[in-house]
Amino acid sequence: MNPDLTWLRVHPITPAIKGWKVIAVLLVIVVQQFGVNISSYREVSQNVGAGPIIGVVALALLLGFGYAAIAWRMTRYAIDDDTVYLQSGVLFRRQRSARLDRVQGIDLVQPLLARLTGLAELKFEVAGGADSSVSLAFLREPVAEQLRSTLLARAAGVEPVEGEVAVAAPERELLSVQAGTLIGSLLRSGFVLGVGGVLVVLVVVGVVLREVGLAASLLLGFFPTIAFVWRRFSSEFAFRVAQSPDGIRLRHGLLESRAQTVPPGRVQAVRLTQSLLWRRRDWWRVEMNIAGYVQAENQASETVLLPVGSREEALLALWLVLPDLGADDPRGVLDEALSGSGRERGFVTSPARARWLDPIAWRRNGYVLTERALIVRSGRLVRRVDLVPHERTQSLGVRQGPIQRRLRLATVALHSTQGPVRPVVAHLGSTAAGALLGAQAARARRARAMAGPEQWMRQTPAPAVTMPPPPPPAGWGGA
Amino acid sequence: MWPMTDRAEDPSPFDPAGVVWTPVSTRLTIVRLVSVVLVLVVPLAGGVIAAAVSGLAALWAVPGAVLAFGLWLGVLIPRQVRALGYAERDDDLLIRRGLLMRNLVVVPYGRLQFVDVHAGPMDRLAGVARVQLHTASASSDAAIPGLPHAEASRLRDRLAARGEARLAGL
Repeated sequence: MNPDLTWLRVHPITPAIKGWKVIAVLLVIVVQQFGVNISSYREVSQNVGAGPIIGVVALALLLGFGYAAIAWRMTRYAIDDDTVYLQSGVLFRRQRSARLDRVQGIDLVQPLLARLTGLAELKFEVAGGADSSVSLAFLREPVAEQLRSTLLARAAGVEPVEGEVAVAAPERELLSVQAGTLIGSLLRSGFVLGVGGVLVVLVVVGVVLREVGLAASLLLGFFPTIAFVWRRFSSEFAFRVAQSPDGIRLRHGLLESRAQTVPPGRVQAVRLTQSLLWRRRDWWRVEMNIAGYVQAENQASETVLLPVGSREEALLALWLVLPDLGADDPRGVLDEALSGSGRERGFVTSPARARWLDPIAWRRNGYVLTERALIVRSGRLVRRVDLVPHERTQSLGVRQGPIQRRLRLATVALHSTQGPVRPVVAHLGSTAAGALLGAQAARARRARAMAGPEQWMRQTPAPAVTMPPPPPPAGWGGA
Repeated sequence: MWPMTDRAEDPSPFDPAGVVWTPVSTRLTIVRLVSVVLVLVVPLAGGVIAAAVSGLAALWAVPGAVLAFGLWLGVLIPRQVRALGYAERDDDLLIRRGLLMRNLVVVPYGRLQFVDVHAGPMDRLAGVARVQLHTASASSDAAIPGLPHAEASRLRDRLAARGEARLAGL
């Protein structure tokens, strides 16, 4: 390791913010032990007395904050021209170094407490599966922002100039989601409507049968659903999408705010989804796969590109990450992908014999190949469109069950990095499946050979640090 | 039930033109059959003892069912192993498996992140190994079981060399 590194510590208030986690853990244990029944707590406190309880809480606090303080002493970080280093751990020491040009995204995360104290956590995400990020928590907000600019500049391959600090790249805000739209979109999800209907029934039952206890205990069963909707609302609140030479910037969050920067070329695949109840408004949700951002299903807030937006907004978000689709009339192809069905505009769909296996969506399931990407269309009730740039295809698979075999059908899957997008073309004709497999393998090979460098400012000829072109008009003709 | 058409058979997507498949070692059949025997012998013995001790004729159905399952696997496994195959092309590796659920995976060399060679105790006795290919995608699921040791080493080194030559980012 380079001996000239200047090692830095994170902000000294960090233990005061991290120590509270112990209280949360304690609370969870208590609730698991005694449930949510208030009377059992009263019983316990009467039996034991106040002294021991206060003692246990004080001890836990002391341990929590004490450990956090030691952990703070033992944590230090450093950066040089091409690597970021982090040393941490009290009993088990850990040294982690991550190459800057391998960056997949840089996040500034501010939990509520950190937000109140003007601190932020900087997460440097590399593609290494779950828990692969280098997390610097907590730094003063301006320090964290400065560090982000420095890391991005060095990751981009901009030569550092002695005695000059990297300036934040300019940015242009393009999209923002209004709170009303977000609430409306959540209310219009079938999930919430179903739960709401059951809730009404429960309340009626409770009132008519005067069994308030029964209704209340059934209500508790809905806690996961409510938690899911709340998490979605709080993480996607005040969603803003901006464009800058460093890539796209996403800002969102109600209590915990998150500012993500995804450098160019890091998006592996994009999915646009429209649930049945969003159709009248023509709302779409845009999600993406980024290597390294691995989250549990239904909790993914880091892989959302646009939580809800009109068709124009969704296509603008798509254009931000995939500016060139390689089609003559990208807007026409995309409209066909979003709401069309059948074989218009070069789409290859399931043959009619696939209706035995998928009577609802067989006309819509299909794909179209453009010069730069594969567009997969699926779902008739919940419409889905997946886009994978050819150079991002990891591997390909084709599978065929016994019934498919009799019907001469096969399902082709494109393997992308872990994330919400898993593109699958279901029930293609055998010949079409074989052709897609062959063509896609060849296209992916060509595209990989032509792919740009990881250090996006090192392209030839070197681009100036200027803003990318403004978004195209609705026609998306010049892309 | 499903309409069978009398048109000429479509070319199967599992047999791309010009691909010569390499089968895996038939010793894999033995390894898998021995595993099946080892797993099934306990419930079989238990069932026989229980039926003999209790004297209930109906209880013989348990060891009977286990035996039938074992025999079915004994017929299935050799065919499954014969259906396994791989092919090295210039830029990618193809792996094919499955009889009822057929499956084909295309892994470009430039996409390989790392290669695992794995051999359990019985694999080692039989002199075979399993080569697992890993890309950045968790869903790739590309593994070739039952390769003779020499072939496994050769394939591993060859994949490493080809991966390097066609190295690409993520």
